[in-house]
Amino acid sequence: MKKPSFDITIDKTGRMTVHVKGSGGKACLQLADMLRQIVGHEESRRLTSEYYSGDGDVRIDANAPNATNREVS
Amino acid sequence: MSSVIVLTPIIIGSFPAIAAAVAGVAGSMGFAMLTPDNVPDSTRAEPPSVTTVIANSDVVEEELSHGQSIRIERDGVVLEFARNPRGECTVCATGSRSKSELKRIAEEASGRLVQQFAYHKLVTELKHRGYRVGSESVESDGSIQMSVHLG
Repeated sequence: MKKPSFDITIDKTGRMTVHVKGSGGKACLQLADMLRQIVGHEESRRLTSEYYSGDGDVRIDANAPNATNREVS
Repeated sequence: MSSVIVLTPIIIGSFPAIAAAVAGVAGSMGFAMLTPDNVPDSTRAEPPSVTTVIANSDVVEEELSHGQSIRIERDGVVLEFARNPRGECTVCATGSRSKSELKRIAEEASGRLVQQFAYHKLVTELKHRGYRVGSESVESDGSIQMSVHLG
């Protein structure tokens, strides 16, 4: 699993944009909260499509009742 | 697995933290630090001056008492960073320039102070939490870009 990382831009007025990467779901939000506590006010937060992919550890059970490859009578 | 957040820094600091940020402002804007012994004569003749207040700032009183300040200078323009009675950090630009020019310089310095303060605070706090700065650069528009990762 990827380690959390940040791509940070601080413009010349001090406004900071942080891309939180390598962590999904609740953990991602916790990292964003940590940055807010360090820096100050939060202007906006946008979740990328990657956020919804969870922690990236996806398993598929072909024998599960709802598996898509089951036979249809 | 990501999100993008935009943050506005809050400047709450003691004198050493503010002084470190002012040194960063001086370096990034080409100013030199002034001591009471080398204040230019132009500042004693009461030339035009413009003062701006840095939003979301709170300078700890016991560390930088009222009346104390830090001065930097470039081409006859002096920037004085101080704490006003309300505890806010102020930047006063003084020199033989138009008011609008002095205001522009003071506002640029205010922004740079916030930038430098936020940079130092973020890097320090993230290092305490086990993060490392992988790369960093100053772009042509004056912004600081860096990549930080765990471990």
